[in-house]
Parts: sequence; C-alpha cells; structure tokens
Amino acid sequence: MIAKTAAFATAALFATSCGKKESSQVVVLTGASTIAPIVVDVAKRYEASHPGVRIEVQTGGSSRGIADTIGGIADLGMVSRVLKDDEPTKLTAHRIAADGVCVVLHKDNPVSDLSKQQLIDIYTGKTTNWSAFGGPDAKIVVANKAEGRSTLEVFLGFLGLDNADVKADVVVGENLHVINSVVANPHTIGYVSIGTAASEAKSGTPIKLIATDGIAATTAAVADGTFPIGRPLNIVHDADTSPAAKAFLDYLMSKEVNDIIEKHFFVTVN
Amino acid sequence: MPTLAPPQKRRVFPVLGDRVFGAFGMAAALLSFGLFAWIVWDLARLGFPQLSWGYFTGEVEDSGRAGGIGPLLVSSLLILVCCLGLVIPLGVGCALWLSEFVKRRSVAARLVTGGVDLLASVPSIVFGLFGMVFFGQVLGMGFSILAGGLTLACMILPILVRTTLSALESLPADLRPAAAALGLTNTTAIAKILLPAALPGIVIGITLGIGRALSETAALIFTSGYSIRWPETLGDSGRSLSVHIYDLALNVAGGNTMAASSALVLLALILLVNSVAVALSEHWLRRRHQTP
Repeated sequence: MIAKTAAFATAALFATSCGKKESSQVVVLTGASTIAPIVVDVAKRYEASHPGVRIEVQTGGSSRGIADTIGGIADLGMVSRVLKDDEPTKLTAHRIAADGVCVVLHKDNPVSDLSKQQLIDIYTGKTTNWSAFGGPDAKIVVANKAEGRSTLEVFLGFLGLDNADVKADVVVGENLHVINSVVANPHTIGYVSIGTAASEAKSGTPIKLIATDGIAATTAAVADGTFPIGRPLNIVHDADTSPAAKAFLDYLMSKEVNDIIEKHFFVTVN
Repeated sequence: MPTLAPPQKRRVFPVLGDRVFGAFGMAAALLSFGLFAWIVWDLARLGFPQLSWGYFTGEVEDSGRAGGIGPLLVSSLLILVCCLGLVIPLGVGCALWLSEFVKRRSVAARLVTGGVDLLASVPSIVFGLFGMVFFGQVLGMGFSILAGGLTLACMILPILVRTTLSALESLPADLRPAAAALGLTNTTAIAKILLPAALPGIVIGITLGIGRALSETAALIFTSGYSIRWPETLGDSGRSLSVHIYDLALNVAGGNTMAASSALVLLALILLVNSVAVALSEHWLRRRHQTP
C-alpha cells in the first residue's frame, strides 16, 4: 500500500513538474544581490503593463551574472561593479543606477572634510580623538556595518581595508541605525548610502554629509561618477540579446523606474 | 499479595559534588533556554506588529518591505515536500541496509557510513553549488522548487541515516531471532516489527531534518532561487522563507522589521510541521497496536 502511494505521488510530482507553460516570453536575469531587489520591483510593474512577458530574477553575485550572460543561461546580467579588464569585451554594460557611500557626522561636529588617509586612520584605530582634526577633545566613536552589507564592501573597498582591520565601537546593520547612532552620540562617525543620508539630512535629522578628499558628497557627484566612494549598478548583455530582453533593459534605463531606485536608496542616473 | 516496600526517600541534601554538578547542569539548561527566549523575544518585539492575516496570504510588495509572504509559504512547503519525498525512502533504506543486511564491520558498510558522515560535514553552500550543476543543469531542472527540494534531501540525508540507524540498533536484540523463529521473512520482520518499533527514533530524525531544511538559505539560493511568484508547478522557481529573510536582512534597505516578521513565521512553521510529524507517527503507532 505504501509503495503504491509513493509510486503515485512520484508520478504526480513529475507530471506537475513537466507541465510548464511555454506560451510567454521569458527574460532571465542573474547576478548581484544588491541589484536583484530593484529589478524584482521593476519587473513586477513591467509585467503588469506587458502581459505575456515573464521576468525571472536570480541572484548569485556579479561574477555569476557575467558568466551566465556569456554562457547563455541569462539574457541579462546584474553586475554591481565596473567590468574588470580581463573580462570579455563582447559584453556591453549599461548603468541603471549608482551606489554611493558617504561618511556622516553629527551636525554639531565642526569637522567637515576627511581625506582617505584620515578615514583609514580613524577606522583602524590609529587616530582616536577628534582634536586631531580640529574637533573637540573627545574620543571618536566608530560605527561599522555588519559583515555582508554592500555599503561595508564599498566603503572598505575604497579604503583598501579588510573588515578584520577595523576597530569599531558600534556594529549595526541598517543605514538608519547608523544615523540613529550619530544622532544619539555627536562624537560618532559612520557611513551610509548617500541616498539615505541626503534624504535624512533634508528632512531635518541633525546629521551632515562629509566631503571626501575635497569632493562634496552629493547625489549629483555620485551620478556623474566624480565622488570617490561608490560603484555603478550595471546591467550587461551580449550581442545576441532577445528583443524582449532589450525592451526590458530599455525600461530599466527609463525615468519610469526612478521612484523604485530611490526607494532602495540608490542614486538615479537616467 | 505481598506489598512492595515504599521507595527510599531521596536525600534532600546530596553531597557537595552532587550539588555543584546539579548547579552546573541547571545553569547550562537555563542558559540554553535563555538564548532561545532572547531570540524569540527580539524577533517578536520587531516582527510581531506587522503580522496580520493579509501578511500570510498576500504577495511580496516593495521587495518585502510591504505586502505579505503567501507565495513564499507555499514555495517553502513544496520544497519541503520534495525534500522529504526523496530523503525518507533514501535515508531509511540506507539505514535498514546498514543495520539489517550487511555486517557492521564489512568494507561496504564502513565505506557507506564513512561517506554519509563526511556528507554531514559538507558546508551547505557546497550542496547549493552541487545542486545547481547536477539537478539544475545536468538534469535540466533549472531554478526550480524540485531542484531545491532534492538538494536539501542530499543535505539532510546524513541526519536521517544516523538517527534511523541508532534507532534500529537500540532495539532489543532478541526481536530478530524471535521474528525468525516465527518463520517471518526478513521483509515482514522489517515492515511489521522493526520499522514500527524504530518509528519514534526515525521521527526524531525527520523533525531534525525538517528544521535544517526549512532554515537553509545557501543551498537554496542557487537551486530553488529568488522568484516571488505564486508557484504553479514544481518546475517553477520559488523563494523560500529563509532566503527571503536573508535578502531582507542584507540586501533591502529598511527590511529589518519585516525580516523579523518572516523569521517569526518561520519559527512557528517549523514548530507546526514538527508537531504534525510527531502527531502522525503517534496516530499511526496507535492504529497499529489496535489492529490484531
């Protein structure tokens, strides 16, 4: 009896798993987990206005996005960095948004500009007092992000540090928690995505965005690529992209998705 | 009828060594429970306010910062069904072979036990990459619930083999010669006597496996995938609750509270599925004892 039930269940499993619909056009994207949530939100909106098109989004990292696009597993690859020189040139990259990370301090902190070297000294614990930068005689409270956060990757990548080198007093996960730490203790230094910092500062939270190497932290500077701490959010494709995939890429690069990009605290570029 | 002497009263004040040992045990138990309570409290504090009926039935909106988790619940359960559908016959079969059909010290038995034990120490991401290549590409399942479930089955196989094996080995040794003396075939003895007797142990293995399976992320990101659609067939990609929690916690700005809500639901789901497994086995055992 058990054997019969099992056989029936197995047969049913395979029958249902093979009944895949083939009628719709499918666009497959794989790659960076930073970009994937944006694309899923855009896809939802796109599918609503384009019946018959299915957008399948899978993650696995930027390198995977590149490999899958070349290998034909994906139509489009999501790559959250600049393409490396040794990566195949037959891929074309399109920037759909930019990710910028800036240092935030309390509004009452007189320091307004920190160089890359000064940031390295603060984050490795070499400099521990604000007086070294013309600030008050107070201990610097260093806020770091939790391991795995993309802002941590971008920031430490810019400084050329490993997370193990960082001497942090506070470790938090969310951008907003960093801002809360800075508001709660004016001697705190933290870093957050520029989108979050700009919208918080604009709504009256007592924080300020710190210039790095003399370049003011603004969304415009991130968008045109002059701000040093940042990275592009790219979609890559090769020469034989399907028309359906091209159409979706055009939509991703249109103004119609800017509200979604801003909701994820990234900087719009189109 | 002779009456039994009343049991001797336990010493109220045991010797010092016993007291120290007892205190240590109690401290360890309290600490273990405290850890669990702290996690649950933290999740409930952050996640409970967002829970509503709509959260269980609704679709994921705004990358999970709004809406519900309906499709993910269905995907998670389907992945679990695929996983258990493969791992129970495979794991129990393997344990039966080891315990009833070969000599424990034989080369074949040692090879299989060693292989299974080694499997238990493989990091789950390796299962994910294996599942992606083997089920996804070689067998052509792509990103699908089926590929995810089968990958998980490979991952929890050692748990089930080990628990079933120790359940079978701890059965009274005279069950087997008694069955043989009654003229029962090996198959009948296993199906009617040994397996039912070992069932409680097997169910423990299954519940441990369910816990591992429902909480797994690394093995599923590359196999069952990231899709938040309502799954229509087992060939569809479907995001599990655990992958959703991971995504909300790491990749979605402002996703922390919703991650806690989903984690709370996942905890409740594991409790529910485990109690169903235990209740089913008890029901089945009781029915067996009633029929002659």
